Parts: sequence; structure tokens; C-alpha cells
Amino acid sequence: MPTSKDKKKKKNTLGERRRKFAWLVPLASINLTLTLLSLSMILVFVATLEQVRIGIRGALAEYFESMYGIWHYPEQFWGGDFLNAIPIPIPGGYLLGGLLIINLTAAYITRFQWTGKKMGIQLIHLGIIMLLVGQLATQAMQEESRMQINKGESSNYIERFHGVELAFSDVTNPGTQKVVTIPQNILENGGTIRTADLPFKVQIKHFGVNCDFTVTPEGSKRGAIVQEVNRGVGQTANLTVSEKEEDFSSEGLNFGYLVFELFDGTESLGTWLTLAHPGGNHWWKESPKLSDLAFQPIRHEGKLWGVTLRSEREYLPYSIELLDVENEFYQGTEIPFNFESDIVLNMEGNQSRRALVYMNTPLRHDGKTFYQYQMNAAADYTVFQVIRNPSWLVPYIACVLVSIGLLWQFSFHLVRFLRKNSNSAQPA
Amino acid sequence: MSFSLPNTFCLTRALLTALSCLLLFSCGEEAEIRSYEIPTEYTGPVVTWELPDDWGENPDISGPMAGSFHVKTDLGPMGRIGVMPFRESVSSVDVANMFGMELGQSRMDEDDLKEISEMKDIEGRNFEWIRLQDTGHEGSTRTILLALYRNKGETWLFPFIGDRDLINEQQKNFESFLASTTLRAGEVEIRAKAPDLPPPPAHDQHGGPTWEIPSHWVKTSASSMRLASYEVKDDNGSKLDFSVTSFPGDVGGTLANVNRWLGQIGIDPVEESSLSKYVSPIVLDEKEAHLVVAEGDKDSLYAAILMVDDRSWFFKITGSRELARVEKPNFLNFLESVCFH
Repeated sequence: MPTSKDKKKKKNTLGERRRKFAWLVPLASINLTLTLLSLSMILVFVATLEQVRIGIRGALAEYFESMYGIWHYPEQFWGGDFLNAIPIPIPGGYLLGGLLIINLTAAYITRFQWTGKKMGIQLIHLGIIMLLVGQLATQAMQEESRMQINKGESSNYIERFHGVELAFSDVTNPGTQKVVTIPQNILENGGTIRTADLPFKVQIKHFGVNCDFTVTPEGSKRGAIVQEVNRGVGQTANLTVSEKEEDFSSEGLNFGYLVFELFDGTESLGTWLTLAHPGGNHWWKESPKLSDLAFQPIRHEGKLWGVTLRSEREYLPYSIELLDVENEFYQGTEIPFNFESDIVLNMEGNQSRRALVYMNTPLRHDGKTFYQYQMNAAADYTVFQVIRNPSWLVPYIACVLVSIGLLWQFSFHLVRFLRKNSNSAQPA
Repeated sequence: MSFSLPNTFCLTRALLTALSCLLLFSCGEEAEIRSYEIPTEYTGPVVTWELPDDWGENPDISGPMAGSFHVKTDLGPMGRIGVMPFRESVSSVDVANMFGMELGQSRMDEDDLKEISEMKDIEGRNFEWIRLQDTGHEGSTRTILLALYRNKGETWLFPFIGDRDLINEQQKNFESFLASTTLRAGEVEIRAKAPDLPPPPAHDQHGGPTWEIPSHWVKTSASSMRLASYEVKDDNGSKLDFSVTSFPGDVGGTLANVNRWLGQIGIDPVEESSLSKYVSPIVLDEKEAHLVVAEGDKDSLYAAILMVDDRSWFFKITGSRELARVEKPNFLNFLESVCFH
């Protein structure tokens, strides 16, 4: 039985904390919690509706990976003709998630009694805080890429699903290739790019994440975007490019484009057009006219540079060789039953490991997880989805904490209930 | 449960803390230019050069050209120097004949070639040096200097086309240009040596066209460049050269090709807007094509350009203006007989 002195002490501890962190008290409000949870439900509802229009990636970017999103009431709903024109701000995932973390932490400090009796509650809330923090960390740190390997060949790089880079490769020296890459964020900013690694300046003229391109019909003039192009494939294939909005849908194919001019001092070396293939720039080789888009030669000061706009690429200190591919379908259907890649992981120090990668059985190596993603047994290649998520363990720990908390709390109440029952059942 | 209302200072501090936390989560990675070295992935051939000070680059590279240059003079750009890498060992006779015909020379054989060629050592590399003079036009000083370099089954050709005096004057520059080049064969398996005299594809096994040749046209040797080659002569000694060639892609486009041909018969190049002066639409085997008709002071040129499956087909007859007029109906009949099956 706790004495009145103990009770006073506990009360004083909570009271002291409240006094010390008085500024946190309003943030610990249960009303705030309920408001945030309600807004979260609205967010999920709106994002689900919008997913039909802009695809999963679009909805994620617009509503969850942002502080706020602007929603327009659907035209097809009742009163849509009138209400559609009104932009409605919706609090985004970062805002609600961040505020929920602050709200829970504040409650933890200023409202919870730190006693064994309430330890279950504390663990449950700690687990929920970890889940939220883990999700934010995942959003910030997780990288999703793809790796395509042809049968009998090996690959030592991965390409991001989203985001392109302008890559210059100096291939003059046998044996090694110097690569200089300019990422999408810098290309989007435009202007003139100078770097000590390149012997020329790069002036960005037009950049876009998606476009339509076609051979200019004879007798017509090239579109405004490529009018200045006088070198490379854009000129020889007489290509016309028209800007297109990014397609966020899962089937969407975005062909990034870039028109740039190179300068040696103040002397122009020419203006080039380059396009990024959404499936990887090796696909350009399938088209005789456009094959050079994978490597447009630029000769300067006795060196041969190749330029290409490609998916952002990361080279790995190891390579994966594809020995064989196999895919199985449910009988009489085209629904995949199993995709399987037989691979050899060639690590540093001449070490190698053979593995089978198939659905739900990924390959984990060096902080990256390689999931079986696509496969074309006829064309003999496989595609892995490569995930790097340093915080992948956090949700598991959070779930364990919540489970222990729930178990503790229920057990505590169960024991107390059983004790109380057994006491009252005793004969008078 | 009751809470006392916090003062304004406390509320401000709370909001600031909340905003800082949110900003922390919103911070992304900063984009930066990266530079790194990897084992060479590029498997193609490497051709690089350094240009002499008084040479300029021609931007309109067409066909198999890797580079095209001119000599800067007070009168404007003169001459034309090219870099043509071949992924096969082409024969010197074929190359010499290809350029020789542009100068109105009759076909030469190995012995003829020996008389106009020599080996030249430039910075430790052996170039085959072939000098061709214009013999088809009286008083012409048009000259073509060909430098060929062979390495691991691949051939690099450097043609210098221009006036004889210009070429003589620029020979040192041409040699220093050749000395500056880096020429490395590609790693991808190259084709076997092309046969010196492939038979003309009267019926191409790979889906190429067939045609009917007028009976009085005399077959001459085709080359790795020419799929068919014929000669037409009259009693006065005038002659016409007929050829069928095919290349992947549009080989620089109609304007570039027509201007090149016009130059060969002494007509100034035209702008795209004036192209219709020489080019008109025609239908070949139910396909849209271009008919080129150009008549110079002495020579004429009739040609048809057709694009089939991303491949350009050129049917061209050129030579004496008078004889060309006589043979024009035969050439048009030939075009009508072209069939891609």
C-alpha cells in the first residue's frame, strides 16, 4: 500500500515537471490530439480520392510528403461545378505527423505519471512516437532504386526511380572513365554551371521532367524548345520536343529532356539536346536513329567526352551477376506466381556469394535490400527494386514496445481485478 | 483535471520549438555536382583531335563523319577536312575510287593506286597517303588528299578536300592535326574484312530492293560503299556514273545531301527554303521519295532519295549534261522498276 508520503512525492514529481515545462502544457492537450487525428483521417480520405487522379506517387508527394496540399472538390460530386473552383488547403503528412510527435512527447512529459503502474501506457505511447519518428526518418532517408541485369552479365550500379542527372564521361584514357554528374536539382535551377571537373561551362537552356518527342516532319520547323540545337542527335535526327507534365501514375513513362549549350570561355561549342529514357538509357540502343542518346560524343581539347541525361545513378563497390531467370504463372493465367533470379554477388576482395532472389525473399547486402521487381524471361533480364532504409528496424522495435505496453497494462488490470475478486469472494 | 493558462512567452517558445522540429524533418539532401572514376564502360572506338589554330569546325556532321572542319581564310571557310571511322578494314582501292569518282576519275586498281599513294610516318604511326587530282574537268585544281590509318582491323579515314594550293599550304597543319589524334579501336567485336568487290544486290536477300537496269548501261565494280555501280557512255566519249547506295539513318538529311551533290557539279549550295528548286516529290514503289534534278554548266545530276525502315537509299546518276538529258527517261524508268517487295 502506498503511503500518503509516496503519493505526495509522485504528485510533486508530476507537478514539478508541469511547472518546469509549463510551456509544453498547451501542446500536450488531448483536444489537440483528437484534432490532429481527425485531420489525419481527412488527409487520408482526400489523398485516396486524389490518388485516382494523380496516381500513388503524386498523392504521396502532394499530401503526405509535404506540409500542406491544395485540394479541389471533385467536379463530379454534388455541387462540384461551383465548389471545384475553391482551393481547399489540407494539412500535409509532415505537418500532422510532426505535430503529433510534439503532442505525444509533450503529453509524455507533462501529463503521464512515471510509475510502474502506468508503465504500460508509457510504453504504448513511446511505441507510437517511435512509429511516427521512424516514418519521418524513412521519408527523409529511404532511397528507392532499380537495378537491371541481362542474363550472363553483371551490373555494379543502381538507378533511382525518380530524378535524372546530366552525366559527362571522359573516355579518352583506356582503363578508366572519368564521370562528372550534375543532378536534377541543379538542372532545374538553370543558369550556367561551372565546375573544375569539366573543361567547359554548361548553360542550361531548357529542362523538363517529361516530354513528347518526334522527328520533325519535313517542311516544318522544329519546336521552340529545340530550335537552337545545332549539335548531336537532336540535330542529326531532327527531333522536335514538346513539354509535358510529369506523369505520377504507376504506369507513367517520363522522358526527361534537356537543351544545353557548352562554352569554352566565351566561345560556344554548340547546343545539344539530350533525353532520358525512363527504362534506362540502354534502351535508346534499340532505336538506330536515337542510339547515340546514350552517349553523344563531344570532342574537346584532345579528349572524347560522352554526354547523356540519365536516371540518377549510384555505383556500388560490388556487382551482381545474373546466372539465370525463371518465371512461373498461375495455370491458364498471366498472373505471376513466382519470379526467380539466380545470381552471384561479387564482393570486394574476390569474395562471392550465390543466392536466389524471388518474391518476398530479397537479397540483403551492405545496407541495401534487393527485391525481385520485374522480369522478362523472354528477353533474359531481371530488374531488382533496391531499397536503402537505415531506419528499417524502427517500426519493428515500435511494434514490440506497443505490444509489451499493452500486455503490461492489461496484465496489471487483470491481476488487480483477480485480486479484488478473490478478496471479495472470501467468506465473511 | 485543470491546467493553468500559460503566459505569452511560454506559448511563443512552444510554437518556436514545434516549428524547429518540423523544419528539421523537412530538410532534404543538398544537391551537388559529383565527380568520380570508374572502370571504362565505353566499348566504342575513341577518336579525338586538336585543331590547328586556323581551322574551324563544321557543325553539320553527316553520315559516318565523326568530325568535319574547314580552313579559316580571309575569303571565308575553305576546304573540307573530315574524320571517318570505319568499324571494318575497308580496302584502300575502294576508298580511293569512292573519292576518285567524285573527281571524274575512272576506276583504278591496286597498281594505279600504288602510283599515287605512299606510307607516311607521323609521330610513330603509319598513315597511307593518297593524293587524287581532278581529271574530269579541264583546268580544275580540285584535289583530295586521303590519309588512312589502320589499327586492330579498324580503319580511320581523314579526307582533305579542297583546292590544290590550299592543300599544299595546309599540309603541315594536316600532319600536326593527324599527330594530335587519339585513335583507339573499340572493344566490341568488329565485322570481318569487307570483301573488295561485293556483288551488286540485284536481289537482296535481306529484304533490299530489286530493279531493272537499262540494257546498255555497263556494270562496273560495286564497292563496300556502292550496292550497284553502272557506267553509261556515248560515242563522243561523254559518260555518266550511276550508283545505288544505302546507309542507316538519314545521313544528314535531304538538304545536306543535295548541297553536297550540287557542289560536285559546281552549283552553289542552297538554303532549305530554295530546296524545291532542285527537289520534287516522287513515289517509288508506293513510298514517298524525293527526286533531285540539277543541271550544272557541264555536268548534271539526277537522283532519288528514299527512306525505308530508318535506312536511306540513294539512286544517283551523274556526269555529262548532254548525255544525262538523253538518259533521263531511262533513269526514270529504272526508278519505276525499283521494288522493295
